Amino acid sequence: VTPRPPTDLACEQHASCPTCADAAVAMRVVALATAPLQGARCVAADGTQELVALDLVDASVGDEVLVHAGVAIARTTAAKEEASAL
Amino acid sequence: VRFVAEYRDGTLGRALAQRMRALVDPDRHYKLMEICGGHTHTIYKYGIAALLPENVELVHGPGCPVCVIPMGRVQDAIAIAQEPGVILACFGDLLRVPGSHGSLLDARAAGADVRIVYSPLDALRIARENPDREVVFFAVGFETTAPSTALTLLRARAEGATNFSCFCNHVTIAPPLRALLDSPQVELDGFIGPGHVATVVGSAPFEFIAAEHAKGVVIAGFEPVDVLESVLMLLEQLRDGRCSVEIQYVRAVTPAGNPRALAAMDTVFALRPQFEWRGLGFIPDSAFRLADEFADLDAERRFGVPGVRIEDPKACQCGEVLRGTIKPWECKVFGTACTPERPIGTCMVSSEGACAAYFNYGRHATPVAEGAPA
Repeated sequence: VTPRPPTDLACEQHASCPTCADAAVAMRVVALATAPLQGARCVAADGTQELVALDLVDASVGDEVLVHAGVAIARTTAAKEEASAL
Repeated sequence: VRFVAEYRDGTLGRALAQRMRALVDPDRHYKLMEICGGHTHTIYKYGIAALLPENVELVHGPGCPVCVIPMGRVQDAIAIAQEPGVILACFGDLLRVPGSHGSLLDARAAGADVRIVYSPLDALRIARENPDREVVFFAVGFETTAPSTALTLLRARAEGATNFSCFCNHVTIAPPLRALLDSPQVELDGFIGPGHVATVVGSAPFEFIAAEHAKGVVIAGFEPVDVLESVLMLLEQLRDGRCSVEIQYVRAVTPAGNPRALAAMDTVFALRPQFEWRGLGFIPDSAFRLADEFADLDAERRFGVPGVRIEDPKACQCGEVLRGTIKPWECKVFGTACTPERPIGTCMVSSEGACAAYFNYGRHATPVAEGAPA
């Protein structure tokens, strides 16, 4: 899992904090993390990777989840739509 | 993720706007409120207001988690940060929110150990890495953010963390909407509902808006086409004389919400009987504290915070902006004394605050208050 950029920097780059902005980022679950890390490696459309806690959703590898503050808060139906479009 | 471009498609957006023009009554003025600051941000970033029919007006609502924090709570957080041995962890925008005597950024400059985190789980990690320090997470946010704090506290409990606690300021979206709808000076025709909050709480908490106040709600996603489609759905409700709670953001929101997130919140939090909102005053049952079972992880009990109440600065009109009764540029200090660099009011701090969104994206296109720089 690629470490997140230092968050001070991330906030300055965005000129604001994505968590404060109530933003949730759609990310694909790539692989489950191994202990001692908890969660899963997820990737966003722009290639950003992040360790995400999946405790609050029913998601597995290949699913798309909405990530807010390092925690997946919803599993979207996007994976299903893409599969049917192929 | 593959389909994100579709939700930013200009042709599709203009086609939706065309359909709106075909169905609006030219003799009527439509006033719709976007509840969530995330939508305010989308509306200004993508110039959505300019696409809408001229008689459709969007009004900003109270759904910016940073904007609604009262000064007293910021001052309490500063007091905790100044306790010896404490590391205060919080989200980035909170650092710049002014208290009565400076901001957390000023406290950090004066020597307090204040650290920005992206997730409450990062605050717990800091506690793990600094066993000889007290780590306090300054929690703010609506139901989008509250589950991540709840999960963090559940993990802290499972790990037996003793040097971690939470200064809880989480709020819930429905009570301020109720307060807003009960206030006589607010005349609205419908609401664009907060999509990310609704992934957690579902659509049920918004039903009272249709049932008791006869106003429509469309729960919307955050891409420009999402917002435009939601406005169209609201206009269709108004044309047909209907009012109901509809979900536009179907790829993420279900009527029942996220049961696991709600269960975590239910375990960790309890409702406060009253909580002060910036500019809106005290609203009953509108915020969370830690449940008694988590009292040992509650920073308010661990540190005995001062609990001061501080009046907003006289010049600041954030309250009127949050209620949608004035536009940001109608505020006396907008863009002059109050800027994102040196905010007086909270609406100018976060990029989803209505004033900051206007300042960053809209100020060249909208009339500017007399005396303000163009």
